[in-house]
Amino acid sequence: MRQLCITGYGVVSSIGIGKEQTLCSLLEERAGLVRVKYLATMHDEFPVGEVQLSNDEMVASLGIAPETPMTRTALFGMMALREALADGGLTKEDISHAAFVSGTTVGGMDKSEQYYLDFLENDSRNAYIATHDGGACGEMIADHFGRFKTITSLSTACSSAANAVIYGSRLIERGEVDVAVVGGSECITKFHLNGFNSLMILDRDLCRPFDASRAGINLGEGAAYLVLEDAEHAYRRGAKVYAYLTGYGNACDAYHQTASSPEGEGSYLAMSKALNMAKIEPSEVSYINAHGTGTRDNDSSESAAMRRLFGESVPPVSSTKSFTGHTTSASGAIEMAICLLAMQHRFIPANLRWQKSDGCIEPVKSTQRNVELRYVLCNSFGFGGNDTSLLLSKYDGYEPKYDGSVAQEEICEEKVYLYAASQISVQEPLSEAWMDNPLPVAEGYNRAIEPDYKQFIQPMEARRMGKLMKRAVAVSSDVLNKSGVAMPDAIVSGTGLGCVEYTELFLDPMCREGETLLKPTYFMQSTHNTVSSSLAIRLKCHGYNTTYSHKSISFDSALDDAIMQIAKGEVETAMVCGFDEVTPSYYGLLKKIGFLGQPGEPSGECAVALMIGVKDKTDKKPLCRIAEHRLLYCPTDTELTEAVSVILADSSIDRSMVDSVMLGYNGSDVVDKRYDKLLEGPLQGMEALRYKNLFGECYSAPALGVYAAASCLAKGKVPAFMRRDGGEGLAVSNILVINYDDGKDCSITLLCSDC
Amino acid sequence: MEELILKLKKEIIEVLNLEDIKPEDIDDNAPLFGEGLALDSIDALELIVLMEKNYGIKIKDPNEGKEIFKSVTVMAEYIDKHRTK
Repeated sequence: MRQLCITGYGVVSSIGIGKEQTLCSLLEERAGLVRVKYLATMHDEFPVGEVQLSNDEMVASLGIAPETPMTRTALFGMMALREALADGGLTKEDISHAAFVSGTTVGGMDKSEQYYLDFLENDSRNAYIATHDGGACGEMIADHFGRFKTITSLSTACSSAANAVIYGSRLIERGEVDVAVVGGSECITKFHLNGFNSLMILDRDLCRPFDASRAGINLGEGAAYLVLEDAEHAYRRGAKVYAYLTGYGNACDAYHQTASSPEGEGSYLAMSKALNMAKIEPSEVSYINAHGTGTRDNDSSESAAMRRLFGESVPPVSSTKSFTGHTTSASGAIEMAICLLAMQHRFIPANLRWQKSDGCIEPVKSTQRNVELRYVLCNSFGFGGNDTSLLLSKYDGYEPKYDGSVAQEEICEEKVYLYAASQISVQEPLSEAWMDNPLPVAEGYNRAIEPDYKQFIQPMEARRMGKLMKRAVAVSSDVLNKSGVAMPDAIVSGTGLGCVEYTELFLDPMCREGETLLKPTYFMQSTHNTVSSSLAIRLKCHGYNTTYSHKSISFDSALDDAIMQIAKGEVETAMVCGFDEVTPSYYGLLKKIGFLGQPGEPSGECAVALMIGVKDKTDKKPLCRIAEHRLLYCPTDTELTEAVSVILADSSIDRSMVDSVMLGYNGSDVVDKRYDKLLEGPLQGMEALRYKNLFGECYSAPALGVYAAASCLAKGKVPAFMRRDGGEGLAVSNILVINYDDGKDCSITLLCSDC
Repeated sequence: MEELILKLKKEIIEVLNLEDIKPEDIDDNAPLFGEGLALDSIDALELIVLMEKNYGIKIKDPNEGKEIFKSVTVMAEYIDKHRTK
């Protein structure tokens, strides 16, 4: 098992630009919660923790050309990443071997809400349509410093950055990279300020986590990134080590979309997992940086969870949200940075403004100095009960256990099988009818075909669900039935744009009529992980639950995460979903920037669910085996050729045995030419298959690519209309699925019928 | 009052998207939460929006809502007393 350590970090929040200022504010007990200044909102009654820099100041500091389209979230990210990379001593060359994993929920919403009406009515702000999604945000941040080996983004609301730490850890543990730069970024937007207001959980006074009089959140903003590194790699390059990351745990509360369970089941499980992984006893924990938002609900639930785990002797606890405000998606990383400062400078930060207990745990009231912090737990919980806990251990010097060679037992991995798959798309829903009777798909906007939802969803539930949510519930129910798996160990999803319909329904009146009387139902479903957590709530599934949101590799990142957990033996089954919807007006926006609506190109929508797991997990015969799966960022032809060779070599499959390669041909000139070029180079001699002629284009279309290839393997045959160059139906036993639409994000999956 | 109760029922059905329910299905005096329609905390927030939007009544504390949303009759009486539009 590789050991993980942190060799650099950078942080930006309302209490400081950089580590030094942050440390001073913490030691001097100086909160950053003031009257709103940078956000153009009418809600100045709510104190906020804004980063005290304007966008222009950050653009100048980062040396970005003034006219470049930039979002505040991306700028924070760059500020924090710059410090982290410098602190970790990473050069451009180092970066090209490293992964970048970033969490955000609102992404470029600050500009989207500012220019929403322009997007619809004129072409003056089109450049900002492309900076809206979380993946674009992650790439803007990363690309400023060079080209990382792999990039992805995830979006699990307020636990996003903490979950980025987990995915980065897995990439290092698998040996994919030695260094992963992980964290998250978020700016305050009118969108979520009004959203939280519609849920009535914002405090008009300064927030008071764990206090009897607590009345809600103060929103904050900022970013932080950590350089996470294989300890041996760090030792060899002589990097300074701040601490080890010895434990992490993610669990789903599976209770309610916006409320925490009274007994804190999800947070209890997350903390327990982190301690178990680190093999330490609860009594050894020196400090807990709590999620502690200041809402009635969270703080009592989190207190209950801590009491369950630690009994009467709960270690010192504080919520540093009393300094920074709730920095939502960035909070996991910002609070890890605070924990690292505390460990390094031997202090426990205060939980400001706490006065009286109402049964919650009693936090640390003022800064405690000269304390040795050996084990520090950092909690981050998100909407839908997406609960994550990370454990840092003190660094005592490192002796490499072996001399650079990878131990043999690490290579032994569980094989991963695909047991069942289901889709709702522009083809006949919940069925493989498309293989024999494909429906024609027209150029332009196509809405998915809805099945009868009554068999899956009660009317009282359905009334609040957007179309994406209904589709996800239907495909996941179908895949549970088909696979014979009653309860998956993990639910991992990917979505490029999330619930567009409800986001629009919230945004539209806010931009037209102003910031009043907005509907909480729409806000709740606007976060990308709503779907994944709703599936968990329906199933009462407390297992691992995460949602990736990075353009066309959203689904692939989810699949990658699930495969790594199965291969490592952490879980035996995982439900992996990919879903995206468009609305007619959002289709219009995406057409303006050339993502959809190119001549000859059909657009689609989809919800796909796969059930994957270890061998013989159910008595159902698997559709196929998932032999390999890899993600690459901006690979050159040589790198892609190499990656394909390595994948084939790793799975002992001769190139001549790969019958065909499923590619994302979508009818648009640019994309089709890119795939043609691959067939002339890295994929020379392979038979090209296509699937978007049947299913259309959308960010989650690659999920349909895997689904279609698996369906073909189960039948042993590819229908003639899927062959790029025409001809008869084709017998198949191994299919490569490659997704490389935009020439940046690339995924490679090898599916084999040997099962 | 009867007129207001009917109007209110129609508004509740619309704002909570209670597709299969007609105004006559809602008992004037049955509890809206827990039993009866079995609404939940998110519905309560939606009703708070309704109160402000349609009747100009501002409810700042969700706990206050619990008393007001006991039944359609209680709600109508409260609206009758406090409405500003």
